[in-house]
Amino acid sequence: MVSLARKNLLKDLPRFLVAQAGIMFAVSLVTIQTGILKGFTRSTTLLIDSSEADIWVASENIVNFELTEPFPYVQVRQAEEVEGVARAEALTIGSGRWYSDGKLTTLRVFGFDPNGDLFRPGDVSDNSMQALNAPYSALIDRTNMRSFRIDGVGDTARIRQLPVMVVGLTRDTQSLVSSKFVFTSLVNANAYISSGFSAGLTCQLGEGDITCINAFQREPDAANADVADPEPLKADAPVTYVLVKAKPGENLQRLKRRLESELSGTKAFTKNELITSTQAYWQNRTGIGFILGLGAIVGVIVGMVVVAQILYTSVSENLREFGTLKAMGASDWDIYSVILEQSLWMALLGYVPGLLLCWGVGTWTAATQGIVVLITPLSAVGVLGITVVMCVGSAVFAIQKVTRVDPGIVFKA
Amino acid sequence: MVAIAAHNIQMSFMSGTTETKVLKGIDLAIPSGQIRLMMGPSGSGKTTLLSILAGILTPSAGQVELLGQEITQLSRKQLTVFRRDHIGFIFQSFNLFPALTALENIELALQLKGKKGPGNQEIAFDLLKQVGLGDRVNNLPADLSGGQKQRVAIARALAGEPELIMADEPTAALDSSTGRDVIELMQYLAKNKGCTVLIITHDPRITDAADEITYLEDGLLASESSLVTGLH
Repeated sequence: MVSLARKNLLKDLPRFLVAQAGIMFAVSLVTIQTGILKGFTRSTTLLIDSSEADIWVASENIVNFELTEPFPYVQVRQAEEVEGVARAEALTIGSGRWYSDGKLTTLRVFGFDPNGDLFRPGDVSDNSMQALNAPYSALIDRTNMRSFRIDGVGDTARIRQLPVMVVGLTRDTQSLVSSKFVFTSLVNANAYISSGFSAGLTCQLGEGDITCINAFQREPDAANADVADPEPLKADAPVTYVLVKAKPGENLQRLKRRLESELSGTKAFTKNELITSTQAYWQNRTGIGFILGLGAIVGVIVGMVVVAQILYTSVSENLREFGTLKAMGASDWDIYSVILEQSLWMALLGYVPGLLLCWGVGTWTAATQGIVVLITPLSAVGVLGITVVMCVGSAVFAIQKVTRVDPGIVFKA
Repeated sequence: MVAIAAHNIQMSFMSGTTETKVLKGIDLAIPSGQIRLMMGPSGSGKTTLLSILAGILTPSAGQVELLGQEITQLSRKQLTVFRRDHIGFIFQSFNLFPALTALENIELALQLKGKKGPGNQEIAFDLLKQVGLGDRVNNLPADLSGGQKQRVAIARALAGEPELIMADEPTAALDSSTGRDVIELMQYLAKNKGCTVLIITHDPRITDAADEITYLEDGLLASESSLVTGLH
C-alpha cells in the first residue's frame, strides 16, 4: 500500500525531525511529570509496601505514615495477647541529625527488630540485618551515601551525640518527601532519638509561690569517647507502630477492631489502608500532586500546539495535492485518513524516543538522586494514549482546512 | 452513444454585488470514443465548463449527462464516487504527488479506485511502460522532465480504465515537440482503450489530434462543425 501520509511526512526530513523532537519533549514532559508523581507517591509508602505485616497499629491521631504520635512499648506486648495475632513487632520512628565531616544532615531514624519477620527496610542482605544487633550500628540507603558523606560499609559518623557505624546498605526505601532514612535496631533508635539533650526541672518553694526552672542542656559529644551500650527498651519507651501478623485465615477487619479496643488510643490499618491513606495525604492534602499534574497538562498542551502547527503547515503547503485527491475521487474519509495517519505516525515516532529518554533519565535519577520516575507498563500505555489523543486532536485544525479545499484548485496553473 | 452531454449550461459568479455570467447557455454533445478539443481565449469560460462537465463545479442552471447519468442532481458524495469510477484527469501542472515515485503515483490512483493488493504494482508498471517510462518507475517527479511528468500524469489518468479523460491544458507547460508527443500518446491510448477525451487547450499545434473542436468565446459556444472545417 502506498502511504501518502508517511511519504509526505518524510519528504522534508529536517523539518520532520524538528517536529518529532517537539513531540518527543512533550511526551517526555508528560511521562516525567506523571512518573515523578507516581514515583513520589510510591516512595512515601515503600517501607509499608515491603513489610510483611498484615495490620499496622498507630496512634489514633495519625495523619500519615511519618506524622503520628508515639505510644508506650508495652502496647506491643499487649498486642501479642490479642486473639488472632500471630506476631507483633514494634517500629519506632524519630528525627535526628547526622554529623559527618563536620557537616549536618537531618534524618529519620527507623528502629525495628532486626531479628523479626515483619519489617525489612528494602533490599538488604541478611548479614547486614544481623549486624544491626550491634550497638550504634545502622543501615542507610545507597542513594543517601553522598548526603551522609559515607563512602561505604564500615564508615562512621555521629547521630546527635552518639556514634554510628554503617553496617550495611539498602535500596528502594527513601521517601522523596522525607529527611534521609537511617535504619537501626529498636534499642539503638531509642538511644538516638532521645540523645543530645537532657532536661531537668528545678523547683523552689518561696513565700507561697513555687518557682520552677525547666532546664535543657546539650549533652557532650560522645562520638569519640567511650559510650555505654544503649539501654534495653523499657515498657514506657515510645514506639510509633505495632506491626501485626494475623493468624492464617483471620478476618483482618475484625482483628483491627479487636486491636483498637484492646490497645487504647490507637487506630489500626490494614497494609493497603495505610498505603492508600498516606498516598492520598501527599497527593491531595499537599500541592505536590496538583503541581505535577499541572506540569503534565502543560506537556500535553505543548505537544498539541507543536503537532497542530506541523500538520496545519503540512496541509497548507500541500493543498493542491489534497485538491488533486478530491478531483480524482478521494472521499472525505480518504483525505482525513491521510492527515490522521500523519498524526498517528507523529505520535508513535515521538512517543518511542520520548519514552526511551524518560526511561534513561529515570534510571539516572534513581541511581544518583534517589528520585524515582516511575514508568509502569500501565502508565506507559496511558502516556501512549494521551500522545495519540494529543496528535489526533491536533489534526482537527488541519482537517478543517482541507475540508474547505475547492477541488477546482487543480485547474489553476 | 453520447458520452458527454450538456444542456443549457449557465454559470454565474458573484463578485461583491456584481454578478458575472461566465457561461451563458452551453449545449454540447461529445460522442463516445471521440477526442474533443475545446479552444478559446483566456476568460472564455473553458476551465469553468470543464469543471462543470467533470462534476467539480455545480452549474447555476442546466444539466450535464455523463455516460447517460444526469450528474447535476447528484450529491457531493455521489459526484465524488462518479469521478473516481469514470473520469481520469490530466492537469496543466501535472499535479503529481512529489513525495511519491512515478510508480507510487499510479498505485495511489488505483488505491483510490478501491483496487488494493500486490497486483497494483504490476498494473502501474504496465501503464508506465505504455507511456514509455518503464525505466523511470522509481523516479520522483522532481527527477523527471516536464514531458515525462505529463506521461506519468497520463498513465495515472488511465489507471482504473476510466471511460472519460478530461485534460486541462496538457501541453501548456511543455515545449512544442514534447507537447506533440504527449498528445500523440493521448490519442493513441484513447483510441486503444476506447476512452472519450475532452481536452481544454490554447495550443493550436495539437488540433490535428482532435476528432472535433469546440470553440468557446465569452461564455458561448461557436458552431462545432464549421469551426473544425475552418481550422482544418
